[in-house]
Amino acid sequence: MSRRTKITAVDNISFDIYRGEIFGMIGPNGAGKSTTFAMMTTLIKPTSGSIKVAGFDIENDAEKIREKIGVVPQQHSLYSDLTARENLELMGNLYDVPKKIMDERIDYYLKLVNLETHSERYTGGFSGGMKQRLSVISAVIHDPEIIFWDEPTTGLDPQTRQAIWKLAGKFNKEGKTLIFTTHYMEEADKLCDRVAIMNSGKLVALDTPENLKKMSNSTNLEEVFIHLTGEEIRD
Amino acid sequence: MNLKRELKNSWIIMIKESRQLFRKKILVVPLFVFPIVMIVFFGYGMGGTVNHVSLLVVNDDTGTLSNSLVNEIGIFIPKNSDVKMFDLTYTKDMAQSEAEAKINAGEYKAVLLIPADYSDTLAGNEAVTLTLLTDQSDTTSSGIIVEVMKQVLAKTRKSPSIQLEIPEIYGSLKYIDFLTPAVIALTVFFGTVMSTGYAVAGEREDGTIVRILMTPISRGAVILGKTLHQLILQLARAVILIVAAIIIFGVTMNGSWFLVALILVIFTFGAVGMGIAISAKSEDMTSFQQISMLFTLPSMFATGVFFPLSSVPDWMRWIAYFIPLTYANDAMRIVMVKGQGLEAITGDLIILSVFSVVIFAVAINLFRREA
Repeated sequence: MSRRTKITAVDNISFDIYRGEIFGMIGPNGAGKSTTFAMMTTLIKPTSGSIKVAGFDIENDAEKIREKIGVVPQQHSLYSDLTARENLELMGNLYDVPKKIMDERIDYYLKLVNLETHSERYTGGFSGGMKQRLSVISAVIHDPEIIFWDEPTTGLDPQTRQAIWKLAGKFNKEGKTLIFTTHYMEEADKLCDRVAIMNSGKLVALDTPENLKKMSNSTNLEEVFIHLTGEEIRD
Repeated sequence: MNLKRELKNSWIIMIKESRQLFRKKILVVPLFVFPIVMIVFFGYGMGGTVNHVSLLVVNDDTGTLSNSLVNEIGIFIPKNSDVKMFDLTYTKDMAQSEAEAKINAGEYKAVLLIPADYSDTLAGNEAVTLTLLTDQSDTTSSGIIVEVMKQVLAKTRKSPSIQLEIPEIYGSLKYIDFLTPAVIALTVFFGTVMSTGYAVAGEREDGTIVRILMTPISRGAVILGKTLHQLILQLARAVILIVAAIIIFGVTMNGSWFLVALILVIFTFGAVGMGIAISAKSEDMTSFQQISMLFTLPSMFATGVFFPLSSVPDWMRWIAYFIPLTYANDAMRIVMVKGQGLEAITGDLIILSVFSVVIFAVAINLFRREA
């Protein structure tokens, strides 16, 4: 739980995420998704309670956790004055990926996301979609067990969104665990094996999209979401 | 075009801009305080005169004629000032080499040697020669002291004349010799604070630092990496500056390159820490720019880069004692101009080291919490 600056952003929640599943966290603004996400990715520490990621405790083994996870941040977070390849090499080097393996992976992933012809271009000149595709492969260059995705398709065109979903599916088939936060119910419904719905720092529901819809007698996840979190607009 | 509508819209935009500015309270203070700070430092620094010059009078005169000369020197008040120019100390029987050593050690800004036959020579209606030693590593003060001394001597006795002999104790020095060591320290300070701060504030703004911090790298390693980059960059800049100053202006490099590097390495550590600390507390790049200017620019005018500290008012000199650049300037001048060794700059190095360690610790702490 995080109680920084007197606001309890996340309060008394407990859940397990299984190896190999695609897990979604959804909730209105201020629900505590970002704080939970930041705690799971070791960016902030909980003020009480404990979190284990890949079997390691975030309080004592943050570095080991960072070796096992990859993060696709909300912002593209790429160095605009480095080329696409240099950005990937930087990440590979920080994860201590051997040079030969890193070069092979870089070539493979650049091709996978159709950026192989742009590898030597500075990313400052990339479109939003290109940046996001590069951002995704930057997060997997060290072959992580778990990939965290923070609202990965926000602001993207439908084609890029589809491409990101495809990539997520591919990584999951390879055995990686995927953890998403998203504002798009369609995304959660389509991609996730299980969805956690958060509201005001608490976990209000956790189940498969199908079960959540059945439980609320709804045809889509958006109705479930409104039903569980209310219609009130959040700050 | 509807002029009324246009004016109204302009007014709306103006109000919005003002509102945004005043919401960033951290920006408002430097914005309004900064010009005041600048005018004060510029005005007093550039327009000031040299006073409180510590002058040692070695009076070996066996007669009494030197009394009026010493009295004239003691009461001399420069134009536009109400403070006596010289703080006098008297002694006798001191060799010139011993007097030079006292200037070297920074005990006195100048030493006036009055020979034993001063009164007798003048009484015999012959010209007499006094020896004036000045701290020529501070070319500005030295020049002013020489000019003032000439005025006082002319006023004391028209005929027969009193001549001044001014030995060049550090070789022939120009203003550029005084300026270069401090400009190097200033460049290193400015360059390091600004580039480190921009890097950290910029990476925070575009989110790249967060991505880096989610890899196995520690925050300490991030800071160390940035510091090493700055050390190499700033040392390279310093070498280029010194070599350029030697080639273009014939600047004198009397001391050890190793000591210059040592001063700059210690100082750069502190400047990196300062850049990180300011950027960690800045909301964005604009805030960083404004806050850092509040620290960096006054350093330029208060620490004796362009004019000697002896020419500034007492209160400004006190401010200078709290600014690390003062000690970097001093150490650089002692090494580059006076050609002195490690013992002569130990005090400066201790102060710079304490500053660097403290500000670095603060920076790491702030970076851990804020980045």
